[in-house]
Amino acid sequence: MLPHLDRKLWRDLGHMKGQAVAVALVMACGLTMLIMARSLIYSLESTRDEYYRAHRFAEVFAYLKRAPLSLVERVRAIPGISAAQPGISVQVTLDIPGLDEPASGNVRSLPDFGEPELNRLFLRRGQWLQPGKRREVLVSEAFADANKLQPGHQIALLLNGRRQDFRVAGIVLSPEFIFESRPGAALPDNRTYGVFWMPYEELAYAFDLYGAFNSLTLKLEPGASERAVIAALDPLLEPFGGRGAFGRADHPSHIRVLDEIGVLRTLSIAFPIVFLSVAAFMTNAVLSRLLNLQREQIAILKAFGFGNRQIVLHYLKFAFVMVAGGTVLGSIGGYFQGQQLVKMYHLFFRFPELAFRLDRSAFVVALFVSAFAAVVGVFGAVRRAAKLPPADAMRPEPPANYRPALLERTGISHLLSHSFRIAVRNLERRPVQAFFTVAGLALATGIMIVPNCFRDSVTHVLGFQWDVVQRQDITVGLIEPGNRRAQHAFAHLPGVLAVEPLRSAFARISFQHRHRQIGIQGQPRAAQHSRVVAKGNTQIALPSDGIVVSSKLAEVLGAKIGDELHVEFLEGKRLVRDVTLLGLAEDLAGISAYMELDGLNRLMGEGDVVTGASFTIDAAHKADFLRALKTVPRIGWVAIKESLRENFAKTTAASINLIQMIYLVFATVVAFGVVYNNARISLAERSRELATLRVIGFSQGEVGAVLVTELVLLALCAVPLGLLLGTGFATAIVTQVNTETVRLPLVFTTHNFAFAVMVVTIASTLSGLLVLRRLNQLNLVGALRAPE
Amino acid sequence: MNSSSDNPPATARSQVFRARGLTKVYGSGDAEVRALAGVDLDLRAGELVVLLGPSGSGKTTLLNMLGGLDVPTDGELAYRDLDLTHATDPQLTRYRRDSVGFIFQFYNLIPSLTARENVGLITEIARDPMAPEAALEMVGLSPRLDHFPAQLSGGEQQRVAIARAIAKRPEVLLCDEPTGALDVRTGIVVLEAIERVNRELGTLTVIITHNAVMADMADRVIHFSDGRVHHIHENASRARPDSLKW
Repeated sequence: MLPHLDRKLWRDLGHMKGQAVAVALVMACGLTMLIMARSLIYSLESTRDEYYRAHRFAEVFAYLKRAPLSLVERVRAIPGISAAQPGISVQVTLDIPGLDEPASGNVRSLPDFGEPELNRLFLRRGQWLQPGKRREVLVSEAFADANKLQPGHQIALLLNGRRQDFRVAGIVLSPEFIFESRPGAALPDNRTYGVFWMPYEELAYAFDLYGAFNSLTLKLEPGASERAVIAALDPLLEPFGGRGAFGRADHPSHIRVLDEIGVLRTLSIAFPIVFLSVAAFMTNAVLSRLLNLQREQIAILKAFGFGNRQIVLHYLKFAFVMVAGGTVLGSIGGYFQGQQLVKMYHLFFRFPELAFRLDRSAFVVALFVSAFAAVVGVFGAVRRAAKLPPADAMRPEPPANYRPALLERTGISHLLSHSFRIAVRNLERRPVQAFFTVAGLALATGIMIVPNCFRDSVTHVLGFQWDVVQRQDITVGLIEPGNRRAQHAFAHLPGVLAVEPLRSAFARISFQHRHRQIGIQGQPRAAQHSRVVAKGNTQIALPSDGIVVSSKLAEVLGAKIGDELHVEFLEGKRLVRDVTLLGLAEDLAGISAYMELDGLNRLMGEGDVVTGASFTIDAAHKADFLRALKTVPRIGWVAIKESLRENFAKTTAASINLIQMIYLVFATVVAFGVVYNNARISLAERSRELATLRVIGFSQGEVGAVLVTELVLLALCAVPLGLLLGTGFATAIVTQVNTETVRLPLVFTTHNFAFAVMVVTIASTLSGLLVLRRLNQLNLVGALRAPE
Repeated sequence: MNSSSDNPPATARSQVFRARGLTKVYGSGDAEVRALAGVDLDLRAGELVVLLGPSGSGKTTLLNMLGGLDVPTDGELAYRDLDLTHATDPQLTRYRRDSVGFIFQFYNLIPSLTARENVGLITEIARDPMAPEAALEMVGLSPRLDHFPAQLSGGEQQRVAIARAIAKRPEVLLCDEPTGALDVRTGIVVLEAIERVNRELGTLTVIITHNAVMADMADRVIHFSDGRVHHIHENASRARPDSLKW
């Protein structure tokens, strides 16, 4: 049987259920975030690690021009290497039935017999390649899904300029392409870029690489130094056009998964702390009020011999019930929200199976953290009550002390109405309660700013990238560097309004001890397509000598204008040159280096060489252009601005919307809960005062105005504070996105601020109205009787 | 000195309240409590009436109805032309605002407002109020205008409550055990204030009390028991509050 003190607990809780629920909900927001983020980290990390292990994901990666397979034996002799897998990796264009534009892709070789040693594939549908059977490929799932390809379908690849039809044997996944995107692209476009696998022999013959390889992946022995292996490997590959080996830390797909886990880690700490602090205060406010109401009961319990410990425990149980409620709600919330977000990850990440895995330890952490918050929140109040001598506790609390508010002491008191004075003095008498209500509302306002700032910043980057910098409609890359004649051929394609040549040269740029490997972009001096833009959106005219780099690259290298950069070209004649840094480009995605086209060719000791071209297309003839382009041989890849944009809208924008939705729910819950709690406590503590006002002739509206004035004053403090707080949150989060892949500028729009204010205002108003309805139930007759 | 000597005789004054068969039942079935069981009563302008009776005799229920805080289950109750039995909430609010002054046993001051402001709160919304300072002057609190309730003694708080009640120049002053929480000396000061208001402003004053001694200061004493008027006693002359002893 339930002890009587616990029966009292449940009945008392029944009377304050609205507030208990409000506290539990705010707590649940923090725990939802905590459980969701920790579970997602767990899901991603464990799934990734199992995938890497089971499919033998390599640890070192290298690309080169061409080396004989016999070189692999020398590679294996490097100490610390446990496995080496040579292969072929080439860029191709493809022709997908039903897709107007030419797509491009990366074709990789698989051993003719047996499984590859490293980076083994996972077969999702269909069959593996049959030994000896030709004209079959395996297709990456992301590309197959985006183009609705099924095993048995046909696709046409342009292999080394020759169009050949292939049958799709199977749909596969690779640990190398958890995040599958065109090299260097910040956003995936799975419709026009895919990865394919073919038998080594067939691919090698098509590209004149039989007996050779151009890509190499390694697995290290446990404890081997990656740095030492790379240092030994690079000189070995260099004579064969090696571009410098790199480890997982520089592997594009691996980095993206790691970045995501990093973001989740921030979420799993910062937000729960803030939410739980507000919840802790709310618990304190609710329980302090309860203790005030139950002073006499406490005295009676003590008079009858209950010890302080029992009494403290009894009141702590109130907090624990709310904690338990919050934990249950937070767990359910975290579980379902995590599942939603996992679905979102399917848009970006390809795992054999990415199921939401609940991190059970997160429950323990959640329970512990919220219980701790609640105990911190109420312990002082409970102890105070327990310490009260019974005789004191029997007497009602003495009337509260008030004094004129600070605002009135400024000398404007004659301007204030009486109900306004009541409101101001009440707030000033309870500064801590007012502070936390303001803090809660400010938090609600602030968290709304974050996703919108993120969205506005991303929109800005895309606008900048696609409208200011890259003004072309389509960019095309050749398989091999060609001469300017290719440009003339391009100019005669249907619908071309303008064409500009471009030259990309892979090089290692270093300054002092720091270096980066990137493609140096050679383009016309004042290109109208890929413009090089300095601060203030002014175009930089590329000088014929010297180099312009992204200011991020200059920062990474520690170089400034006027410094000599050391450039080792990793292709062509592989010349090594020193080039003066003449300008900084304020680009927001990737790190780039730009030179004037002729200047670059001169520096490389080459003539009139281009590797691609950019186009402005007459929209009316776009389809004709794309159809014609499919027939042009030797095209390695095609990037279409519009498809990137569309694809972005479908994926990234959709995920930002989902996150925005989650924050919206949180902001609403917090605003609603905080206002509800504050109003309920005011109403309860002052029901006698408010009833008296009704008795002496105030209408319900006028009495409501006293309460509303307080809430409005609190909201007026909270909203600007919240906008500041949100600006701070967003600044902290968005400026973290300052990587070599993408740099988000801080963009705050009035729309963002207005929306946050609107959400919080609506939530607070509804919550306030809910409480004001209780004014109907004020016991007017009771006001005439003795105070409780 | 008989302070009621300059007032016209009770029967000649105009009628303010008229109650016929006034009944109030709380609860139903076994839990049914008949708080008022058919009360007929007329209260007239300017008179000072004391309602006497034991706990549960129905006097507070009657006072609540007179004040527009409660409606009868049966019977009729009218304040002048206003039918209190069927009045709407806004009508009752307006009635309390313009015509009724309440004095409670526990003062019920707004703790966050000073004495002057507690009175000013009412004069802000009343039709024809006196200045808060004037009302506080009548109860002898001019030196304590800007004190908060927590800074005032019980008797002082009750006098602020009286000032608050009369500042709107109500026609009716309803007092529920006004001295119940006070010692004798302070109680007498409070009663003097009430008596003075009744005398100088001609406010119909109804006082609920357990204290039979206070009956001497009334024009009429109405004895309650079991929800009915047991009997009504008219004093030939009103005793001065400072002559009362209990």
